[in-house]
Amino acid sequence: MRVSRPAFTTLACALFLSACSTGTQDVDTGSAEGRVHGSITFQTWNLRAAFPDYFEDLIAEFEKKHEGTHVKWVDQPAEAYPDKISADAAGGTLPDVVNVSPDLVAPLAKARLALDLDQAAPQYRERYLPAAWKSQQIPGMKGTYAFPWYLNTGPMFYNKRLFREAGLDPAKPPRTYDELFDAALTMAKRSDGRIATLAATPTIEDFGRYGARLMNRKGTAFTFNEPKGVELLERYKELYDAGALDSQVLTATPEQAGRKFMQQSVAMNPGSALDLAKFKKDAPSLYKNIGVADAPNNTGRPNMYVQGLMVNAAGENKATAVAFARFVTNAANQMDFAHETTVFPSTKGTLDDPYFTEDKDGDDETRIRVSSAKSLDKAVNYTPVLLSDDMKTVLQNAVARVMRGDTSPKAALDSAVEECNRLLKLN
Amino acid sequence: MTTATDSRPGAVRRQRPVSPWLFLAPGLLIVSAFSLYPFLSTLGNAFTDNRTLVPGGFVGLANFRELLHDDMFWTGLRNSVLYVAVTVPLLVLLPLLLAMLVRRHVPGITFFRSAFYTPVVASVVVVGLIWVWLLDDRGLVNGILEALGASPVSFLSDPWLLLLSAMLLTVWKGLGYYMIIYLAALTNVPRELHEAAAVDGAGAFRRFVTVTVPALRNTMVLVGALSSVSAFKVFSEVYLLAGENGGPAGEDTTLVLLVQQVGTGLNGRVGYASAISVVVFALTLGLMLLVLRANRKEDS
Repeated sequence: MRVSRPAFTTLACALFLSACSTGTQDVDTGSAEGRVHGSITFQTWNLRAAFPDYFEDLIAEFEKKHEGTHVKWVDQPAEAYPDKISADAAGGTLPDVVNVSPDLVAPLAKARLALDLDQAAPQYRERYLPAAWKSQQIPGMKGTYAFPWYLNTGPMFYNKRLFREAGLDPAKPPRTYDELFDAALTMAKRSDGRIATLAATPTIEDFGRYGARLMNRKGTAFTFNEPKGVELLERYKELYDAGALDSQVLTATPEQAGRKFMQQSVAMNPGSALDLAKFKKDAPSLYKNIGVADAPNNTGRPNMYVQGLMVNAAGENKATAVAFARFVTNAANQMDFAHETTVFPSTKGTLDDPYFTEDKDGDDETRIRVSSAKSLDKAVNYTPVLLSDDMKTVLQNAVARVMRGDTSPKAALDSAVEECNRLLKLN
Repeated sequence: MTTATDSRPGAVRRQRPVSPWLFLAPGLLIVSAFSLYPFLSTLGNAFTDNRTLVPGGFVGLANFRELLHDDMFWTGLRNSVLYVAVTVPLLVLLPLLLAMLVRRHVPGITFFRSAFYTPVVASVVVVGLIWVWLLDDRGLVNGILEALGASPVSFLSDPWLLLLSAMLLTVWKGLGYYMIIYLAALTNVPRELHEAAAVDGAGAFRRFVTVTVPALRNTMVLVGALSSVSAFKVFSEVYLLAGENGGPAGEDTTLVLLVQQVGTGLNGRVGYASAISVVVFALTLGLMLLVLRANRKEDS
């Protein structure tokens, strides 16, 4: 078949152009000057179902305060949230204000899509807890790329009935990993392997809480293959062999693990404060027996999940977006949100409020709130900001290979660290 | 005589017909936007290190060289080839038997035809979730097995059983579709041939082998080609049953699932994922050509 020259040229040009990506290198990430006016879009992460009134009132108040502004609120489900942001960012449809965690900010900041608040809004830095502000910074980059929003220590839920039936004391949930492993082995033995204690394999946060160092100080290499990390995997392998982990643990997503916990075939599951309302509505018999504890840790420093609000640096109305993000994360509004559910404000001084320091009614929720608030000053965000989704998959696959007995914990972690470091360089 | 190129004064200029292009335009636009452009884009990207959010540069054959040393790629290739090897023979044969069963005019046969076709129109996501519930360690199938005194089977945690379950789901969902194709083709098989064979003393099985199968050979090749392509591109069934990581330690990953894993997300390696896509395209094309060539050889 003969191809005419114009057709060939057109095809070659199309091929060349189609491989060219449009970048965001000319985006100004350091300023958000202008009038607070006009429309912006605000995206939250799985919050609409539980808090529609709170956000609608918040938006109405902002629009009233700043005449001529309009905020369109969109909410995305928890599953595949990073994929949704990725698609929007690549397609140029990223909302003006986006709810993010620090590990999601990193690639967006590198792509010059996140506004640097140290340049664009430095006056607000002093209003937030230093650790919370710092959590929105990226190793190897200058700047802070999101307003700190609510903090969460990530409670561990447990089923008191299953604990009782296994002869474990429901008033004393495991606080360290050794206690967790002992309880899990007891549960497996006494239930003849019918009840597993956990439905998930260890994540990077588990390695951190167990005492393994996750990255070097410069943030240039992962180090979770050090002896503490290897030890953690050896202990998990012991649990897997004893039936203390759910039989489908190697393919379980956090959502599936959550479902197993709600079906009461698993005794413990990490979650967030938002889950309590879900248990109350969807699993009332579980709710009657629910226990809430801090996630076990060997370091004495609990995990702190940080949520942030990132301003899209490529947005058309950055001044309004900054004003709105600041408004949502100011002390008063964060305090109001903390009254809606068990989360903690990231603004300076707010945690001194009696709501977080005094246990007046003695119920579970208040007890957890007060004790978690107390532990926040020691809390650490164990999730490395530079750990991308593909690195998480590498770690998960390494853990699965160990559980199946395909390789030793040391060899699996060495190989995972090597691969994560290779991906880190590529990123 | 005047022609279109005739430039003499007063010559009649023949107009190039526009209307066919106008009729074709909507289709061409859709094909260009949703097939041609993505295809060219993938082809171009395969030679770059473009990422989801950060544009890269031309890297020549580096992505293809990396593929050769990527264990996950070889796992994906192995699983995709296995998928074709297991599902295609089943999808060529079983729908034919089913079609022969439901072509009879007996009371209530319409119900069975509809029932066999229902999985085709059902959403693959819904069907996949139902299968997950059925095959779960505490699901219906294991419940029945336990009630019968057998040990539960780890359909969703053993890599081989997981892959087999996904294959069965593909076959079950595809049966009705190919059954309809065979039903249409069966009406073209001359009844006289069957009668003549019966007169010569051929039984039902002999008539099936010597009359029905040769008469349907072209249709079987078509079904083989269609099912091979879709089996090689399988994604949803494996994703739903084995999860986004492709089973324990990624042991059930297929090539298309690998493309999704590598190429999506905030740090997605679009260039590398495109290189895998190009390999999938080349292999699918090769498979099709092989089937067509085998058919042509048979014809001659």
